[in-house]
Amino acid sequence: MKVAQLLEQRRDGWRDLESLCLELERRGPRRMGAAAVSRFASLYRAACADLALADAYQLPPDTVGYLHALVGRAHNQLYRSQTFRFRDWSHEMFVELPRRMLSDRTLWLAFVIFWGAFGLSMWLGYASRPYAEQVIGEVTMASMEASYSAPLVGRDVDTNTAMTGFYVLNNAGIGLRCFAGGLLLGVGGLFITLSNAVQLGAVFGHMLTVPQRDNFLQFVTAHGPFELTAIVFASGAGMRLGFSLISTGGLERMASLRRAAVLAGPMVAAAVVLFCLAAVIEGFVSPSAAPYVLKAAVAVLTALLLAFYVVGLGLAARR
Amino acid sequence: MVSAALLVEGPEQRLDLLQSPNPSALAALAAAANNGRMPKPPRQLDSRYEIATPENIAFSYVLAGPFRRLPAFAVDLLLRAGTMFLVFLVCTSFFAIGADGVGLSVILVTWFGLSWFYGGFFETVWNGQTPGKRLLGLRVLTVEGQPINALQAVLRNVLRDVDAMPIVGVGIPLYVLGLVVMAATERFQRLGDLACGTIVVVEKRRVLGGLVRVNDAEVIRFSQSLPIEFSPNRAMAHALSVYVARRKLFSAARRYEIASTLAGPLGQRLGLPADTNPDLLLCALYYRKFIADRPGVEAEAPSEIAEAAQT
Repeated sequence: MKVAQLLEQRRDGWRDLESLCLELERRGPRRMGAAAVSRFASLYRAACADLALADAYQLPPDTVGYLHALVGRAHNQLYRSQTFRFRDWSHEMFVELPRRMLSDRTLWLAFVIFWGAFGLSMWLGYASRPYAEQVIGEVTMASMEASYSAPLVGRDVDTNTAMTGFYVLNNAGIGLRCFAGGLLLGVGGLFITLSNAVQLGAVFGHMLTVPQRDNFLQFVTAHGPFELTAIVFASGAGMRLGFSLISTGGLERMASLRRAAVLAGPMVAAAVVLFCLAAVIEGFVSPSAAPYVLKAAVAVLTALLLAFYVVGLGLAARR
Repeated sequence: MVSAALLVEGPEQRLDLLQSPNPSALAALAAAANNGRMPKPPRQLDSRYEIATPENIAFSYVLAGPFRRLPAFAVDLLLRAGTMFLVFLVCTSFFAIGADGVGLSVILVTWFGLSWFYGGFFETVWNGQTPGKRLLGLRVLTVEGQPINALQAVLRNVLRDVDAMPIVGVGIPLYVLGLVVMAATERFQRLGDLACGTIVVVEKRRVLGGLVRVNDAEVIRFSQSLPIEFSPNRAMAHALSVYVARRKLFSAARRYEIASTLAGPLGQRLGLPADTNPDLLLCALYYRKFIADRPGVEAEAPSEIAEAAQT
């Protein structure tokens, strides 16, 4: 058979496949009906066969190029990813992730580094004012002291709602940035965790020495556990990414990075959820005029919840 | 090629090669390793990426480099800014009814969502495409050519933050790191792509290019006069179709010059007179190979075939 005849024979099928592809893209497979979908599949297989035999048929190069594009397009319509499934994700977040977190040495390293540096910096900030000045900067220090000068009397609901939005944007954004930065040079996560811990520790240490101490503690206690743990989760996940480039565990470097990304992803999701919860507490509970006992109770409760999530669910999933 | 030969040949030849490192010996050895077949053509330098499907065929995509992805990114950026503007307008109208807090909060949370999860959301829902990518015919796939999942879609967009470095002034990303990494990797992957194992490919519609119309009376007549038993082999058929597809771009003198490279020796072999027009000879061979042997066959629907092939 001559190529001209062959092209004549096949052209209609290819055109049909092309228009079915367009329709699938526009309307999705559900609304197309079974007949159209099965016709699409058989046309796709026919196009695949034509492409496989293009060399034997001696099709012109232009036609071969067209077939490559057509088959590629149809391939992407035929093979689709499992889109978000709630059941899979809840299993991942409440069974798999706590189990992995409990035995994730990178996360525990991030935990130790963060709290170690935090404690050290807090002590230094408490003991020496020049240290705090150097780390925080005098301008920030003055503005912090000013903002906690009045005792908390509670804000109106409007301000609380607006501030919650701001905390989501700002804090969760910082968390995600911490995570992404972990990829830098493999040790970016280490650097970011340390710098966050030192900054925050110096602020805490310094604020304990000034007269505004009580107002400050009134404000930070309630949302502290969620927010600080969220930072540890995010930077731990980032460290995981970065370290995977250095310690590959026998894999190719890029394969090691890919494996780490799959493991770190859900951990960042947990961090973002924690940041959002912390933002709600920070927006509504922290600035309220409620007695300190209540805020401390919130802090203890949230800390217990976190411990239950990582240790409780983790141990349960292990069995 | 040579190193492969070293691996398959016996020790004597290796010794021989070491003792007499002259190029012809190397070439001979390489040819021997190929069992006398033509060496494979070197890998194409253009950005093609081959994928083997479950149907057991291989097809290739054109990979999208930074300059194809930039316009899509710009479209997405505009869309994000537009959405942000609309949300801003709607939410500021909340202020009129006194719900300032809700309005502001919605604006801020939308900003957060758009700046971190816009790409991830669309690439999950639209099978690897954002509005910008759809407009410009790009799609994100895994390196195996499969569709991406939600985790990959979200993660590659969150990690965009490192690719955007350095960020200068009031948060203007320069994307230098991403650009450098893309240039350094084989498949134009930025860091986010590397971590998620994804690639971006071009998925544009292509026009069905068919056969070229050569139903010139002179060509048809000439193709009859060619020896009936001669048939171009595969390589020559390929050369013919490439030549005929492009000959319209050249002037007559240039066609003559290009065609005579093949037509000269071929004419001698077929015993044609020396003054045969090389362009005519190649067109006639093309006509015979791809369109019709005899005018009778082709007469069934001559112009229709050729015309359809052109559209």
